[in-house]
Amino acid sequence: MKIDLLQMVEYGGCSAKISPKQLEEILKYLPLPKDPNILVDIDTHDDAGVYRVNDDLALVLTTDFFPPVCSDPYEFGQIAAANSISDVYAMGGDPVLALNIMMFPVAKLPMEAYAEILKGGFDKATEAGVRIIGGHTIDDFPPKYGLAVVGYIHPEKIVTNAGVRPGDSLILTKPLGMGIILAGQRLGMSSVRDVNEAKCLMKLLNKSGAEVMKKYNIKGATDITGFGLAGHALKMARASKVSMVINMKRVPYIGDSYTLTDEGCIPGASFRNLEYAEKDIEFASNLDYNLKMIAFDAQTSGGLLFSAPTEKVNKILEDLNSVGLPDSRVIGYSTSSQEKSIYLNN
Amino acid sequence: MRIVDTKGQLCPAPLIAAKKALKETPSGESFIVLTDNQTSFDNLSRFLKDNKADFQVSESGGVWTLTTTKTTSDVVQTKAEEYCPSSISHFEKGNFVVVISSDKMGEGDDKLGHLLMTNFIKAIKDLDELPKKIVFYNNGVKMVTNSSPVIEHLRDLEKMGVELILCATCVSHYSLESVVGAGTVSNMYTIAEVMASSGNIVKP
Repeated sequence: MKIDLLQMVEYGGCSAKISPKQLEEILKYLPLPKDPNILVDIDTHDDAGVYRVNDDLALVLTTDFFPPVCSDPYEFGQIAAANSISDVYAMGGDPVLALNIMMFPVAKLPMEAYAEILKGGFDKATEAGVRIIGGHTIDDFPPKYGLAVVGYIHPEKIVTNAGVRPGDSLILTKPLGMGIILAGQRLGMSSVRDVNEAKCLMKLLNKSGAEVMKKYNIKGATDITGFGLAGHALKMARASKVSMVINMKRVPYIGDSYTLTDEGCIPGASFRNLEYAEKDIEFASNLDYNLKMIAFDAQTSGGLLFSAPTEKVNKILEDLNSVGLPDSRVIGYSTSSQEKSIYLNN
Repeated sequence: MRIVDTKGQLCPAPLIAAKKALKETPSGESFIVLTDNQTSFDNLSRFLKDNKADFQVSESGGVWTLTTTKTTSDVVQTKAEEYCPSSISHFEKGNFVVVISSDKMGEGDDKLGHLLMTNFIKAIKDLDELPKKIVFYNNGVKMVTNSSPVIEHLRDLEKMGVELILCATCVSHYSLESVVGAGTVSNMYTIAEVMASSGNIVKP
């Protein structure tokens, strides 16, 4: 029997995240622990928490798991692991250890699929230099998989949402459109080529991009996942107390994402993200509607978005290109804090 | 009236069906969209509003009826390049350099020429691909002073990764050292190398 994980889910990948608006309302009532060794917490909406062990070492902790984004269990395992580990890279850390988190419907899927998902996760973790040393499984439908990851970082070299300076250029390392292409796949609208490109991008570790970031001593970064480019940029702009100008015409996207959007293939998550972010975004009056919705497309294991001093941009792009991220682009820049956090232009 | 029944379908399928109907319906005419899912209904409402369609809503027994009237004819927003792929591969990759050798564009009235150059520089940011570099020499360096009408535009281009290179001899000839507002002042060897190694040169 050919296993098709996609038959089991309505929303896959980071599209399945709870609405950012609901999340913020809930988190308001949850007190944050006070401890001088907590260097980064949810206060700046960062990708991971960071805890200082001593003056030379801090731990980066993060977890992520989600329902299938593709039919093949092995590929799903790879993508989920790449996505989980990505948060450590976005903080400038080196991922070291991980635990599996699995929800698996024993009665509905052959155990072979379980083994394949874990194998995919194991292989991707190994590629990242991460050792998986345990895990936890619940019998549950639909299946969900991810990792809880621990990374090392020097306490003074943490890269956060709050590190963007006014005047910096903004660089994105992977094209957008993963949510659109995957939604189109379910409806038979996406081309095989685009689906393959989306899968390759989701499996691609943000390791090489993070190494370039480290080389140039970048201070402000995030990875683009469920809240879309605009949602994550908004969190960064707020945490850094700057505004950002994003030129959607400069933002790369996968193959036919634009045409699919134009045909109405806009995943539900895009509307959730739009609703969350739009109050603090100024949309240019001539902004192309399809480009606007691409800005809110939920990504799974998306690229890094980081800020860099303008004079280093060309060198950084050359480096990103040479480490295998040829779609890296400058998509905008930051300014001192204005009335709105994000200015979305064509 | 055409009925688009999306009952039992989840997003984005109802949006796709609605968009298709919107494209195919003549301006001023109406169609009905049915959905039985709250989220699909919310997203359809937002989507139709964003596409500037008028619609009336009624709900009964968990089914929403959106009676939709198309009000504009320009529903289809498509970028030209989707249909006319550029055949000039150098330009696709942004492998070109713009050379600004004057503060005026073209021959004729000086005031007009200066206005044209100003507008040309302002238009660069809207190109489908940005140039890799912009070189300024002779009177061209005057476009990069703090009082230039396009200095903010040039700074924005710089932030988008476009390198601005100014001829050092020209800056000192016009005594502009203290008022250069963007870019890097550089020697003629660099300028010659940038121009020689560029795939294409655009000179207004």
